[in-house]
Amino acid sequence: MKADIKGGAAFGYLDLALEPGESVTTESDAMSSMAAELDMEPKVNGSLVSAFFRKFLGGETFFVSRFSNNTQETKRLTLVQPTPGEIRCVDLNQGSICLQPGAFLAATDGVTLGLKWAGLASFIGREGLFKLEVSGTGKLWYGAYGALLEREVDGELIVDTSHLVAYDPSMKLKVQLAGGIFSSFFGGEGLVTRVEGKGKVVIQSRSISGLTGWVNPKLY
Amino acid sequence: MQIELIHRPGNTAAKIQLDQGESCTAESGAMIAMSGNMDITTTTHKKQSGGLLKAVKRMMAGESLFLNHFEPKAGAGEVWLGATLAGDMMTYDLDQESLIVQSGSFLACESSVEVDLGWQGFKSFLSGESVFWLNLRGSGNVLLNSFGAIYPVEVNGEYIVDTGHIVAFNESLDFSLTKVGGSWLKSFLGGEGIVCKFKGRGTVWCQSHNPTSFGSAMSSDLKARKV
Amino acid sequence: MSFTQYRVVLTGVLNPGVTQEQAIEAIAQLFNTQPERVSQAFTQAPIAIKKDVDLPTAQRIQNALSQSGVMVDIQTMEGEAVSSGQPQDVSIKGDQQTSKGSDELQRYDMPGLQFSIEGRPDYAFLTVQLPKNETLKVEASAMATMDTHIVMKTKIKGGLGRLLTSESLFINEFTAENGPGEIGIAPGTPGDLAHVHLNNETIYLQNSAFVASSSSVITETKWQGLAKGFFSGESLFLIRCSGNGDLWFNTYGGIIMLDVDGDYVVDTGNIVAFTEGLDYDITKVGGYKSLFFSGEGFVCRFKGKGKVWIQTRNVGAFLHWVEPFRPVESSSSDD
Repeated sequence: MKADIKGGAAFGYLDLALEPGESVTTESDAMSSMAAELDMEPKVNGSLVSAFFRKFLGGETFFVSRFSNNTQETKRLTLVQPTPGEIRCVDLNQGSICLQPGAFLAATDGVTLGLKWAGLASFIGREGLFKLEVSGTGKLWYGAYGALLEREVDGELIVDTSHLVAYDPSMKLKVQLAGGIFSSFFGGEGLVTRVEGKGKVVIQSRSISGLTGWVNPKLY
Repeated sequence: MQIELIHRPGNTAAKIQLDQGESCTAESGAMIAMSGNMDITTTTHKKQSGGLLKAVKRMMAGESLFLNHFEPKAGAGEVWLGATLAGDMMTYDLDQESLIVQSGSFLACESSVEVDLGWQGFKSFLSGESVFWLNLRGSGNVLLNSFGAIYPVEVNGEYIVDTGHIVAFNESLDFSLTKVGGSWLKSFLGGEGIVCKFKGRGTVWCQSHNPTSFGSAMSSDLKARKV
Repeated sequence: MSFTQYRVVLTGVLNPGVTQEQAIEAIAQLFNTQPERVSQAFTQAPIAIKKDVDLPTAQRIQNALSQSGVMVDIQTMEGEAVSSGQPQDVSIKGDQQTSKGSDELQRYDMPGLQFSIEGRPDYAFLTVQLPKNETLKVEASAMATMDTHIVMKTKIKGGLGRLLTSESLFINEFTAENGPGEIGIAPGTPGDLAHVHLNNETIYLQNSAFVASSSSVITETKWQGLAKGFFSGESLFLIRCSGNGDLWFNTYGGIIMLDVDGDYVVDTGNIVAFTEGLDYDITKVGGYKSLFFSGEGFVCRFKGKGKVWIQTRNVGAFLHWVEPFRPVESSSSDD
């Protein structure tokens, strides 16, 4: 499968060339254009029970789509996320990565989407009770709103919860106030996430709540 | 008329330079800045057709298309144009032909190009979204914008494009609204809903991102509208 | 990754006929800094005089300096020379002595706080290094990351002015109390970031453009006058930034700097900032039909000599676009 991320960091989109017999699993509504001969099958995301929890508690969609090429020729499929931003590819080799809700775009066969208990703190931070842990062997594409920036953490880093996109599963997340009680609520930062451990954290350079925070005072 | 595109591809602006006697037509509201000697006249979709009442009627129907005509008064002048959403722009040289353009993607054209609102192709199916289609005809330079990147698809046979991703296409192509995955149920469960299938030979220009999906993603965080 | 960042390296080589004094003068003027600091840089050449900029910016600096006879190289932050895409009027000398180690290049930058901007130009993200006990003023809710050395406090700034504009009332102060720290700032607005180092100068910002400043920069809300404010679409107030220090502001979309000399018309929704001394008026474009149907409404006509920063996307147009996506709430509910 030939895969190109195009559109740069601002407007990443994924151009796939599916060889005969190949297929790919994508987030629902990710297809923007495709060869008319490709087959699409909606699938329940993971097992039925976990899909249910993911939908209602993890913020992901209930269904994912599986596109397959059952022809004898290479066929093109173009995928994109609802928000403009950067897309990255991870080569999972028995490894795993945790994704925030909405970050998953697509994966090849051999990659599984699993659900892990994230704790009550995560729920308070409006991120849901469960976290999405992607594991297996294959390619995973994920993305976010804005550019993706990597930070190596060794110790602690405070991240605004709405900017967190992905992190190593070994890292611990705690929710806390941004400053004192007054600052946290009037300063607009509210709750932040404290990431602890040693590993990589990926953040997005914009957030939807930041965008609406800019727009809302101007609306009447 | 000279067009220069700046800040491609993310937040593209077009700088249009006009010599004395030249003029260009742009979508209303697209002007960012201009030299002090630039004259603006506003009309409905064609330059010579008046009829303010007609224009108001169209506005009520959600199909308002007011056009601004820029002409420098003394000497040359320049005007900067920008789109509503972030994204790229492209120019296309019409040569005695016809290009169907999604209304939100039209930005400007040379005065020699005819901007026709009458094209009814998708209208009945896609009402609800404030999308209508323009037919740009004749010869001259056309300036289009997209939400995100623009990529052309050379159709030779059949190709499916999600309706929110169409920027423009050659009139030579046939199209129909259809489903993905063989059944309407699958298409809706897969989140794709109605898509457009192009047939024949020609080019479809697609935008990488779908404005409606982006709007929906921010919807729940937006301040509520009181009714 | 397409976010390649560049640095402009002073080679120390001057065009024939240009004295070092003239060169120092030119650089000091361009970067708005003391000549002493520049002459210090010359003794250390080759040295980076501007870091973490995009290629067009680096080329603009190169272009401006070449007109004063100063030769600079453009390199990636990793030290790779950039040979393509040079402006044609600039001749780059080939094999100059190679740059010193990157440690040395990191050491010197133009005055003010150390910072880097990633994600330019569409989703610019600012990272500032704060020395111990230094304080940074940041627009409310723009903090995205920080290390645990930094402590946040909230201040009410601008009093009544900001209250009336219904923009965020608060500016947060981040202080590196427990040792030097790093803070990452993400403005809400999708677009670019600009940096100016104020040297006893004044710049006016459109109300929501302020992102951050060093604590020495004075920020005040400024009443525009009713007529100007009312029709300017954005708000009745501007933010007046003055004093000495770093200032960062953001744009919706890309940023374009216009040198105004005479008069220039800018849509009110596209103004980001302008320098003090420019006169402006709010006027309509075209006839009355244009006033209502052109979609331009009122525009701002700048007169005089100065700089205006404009953004390639219009706030008003975006607000109009967002309208159908707003949730609907019946007016009977109290809120």
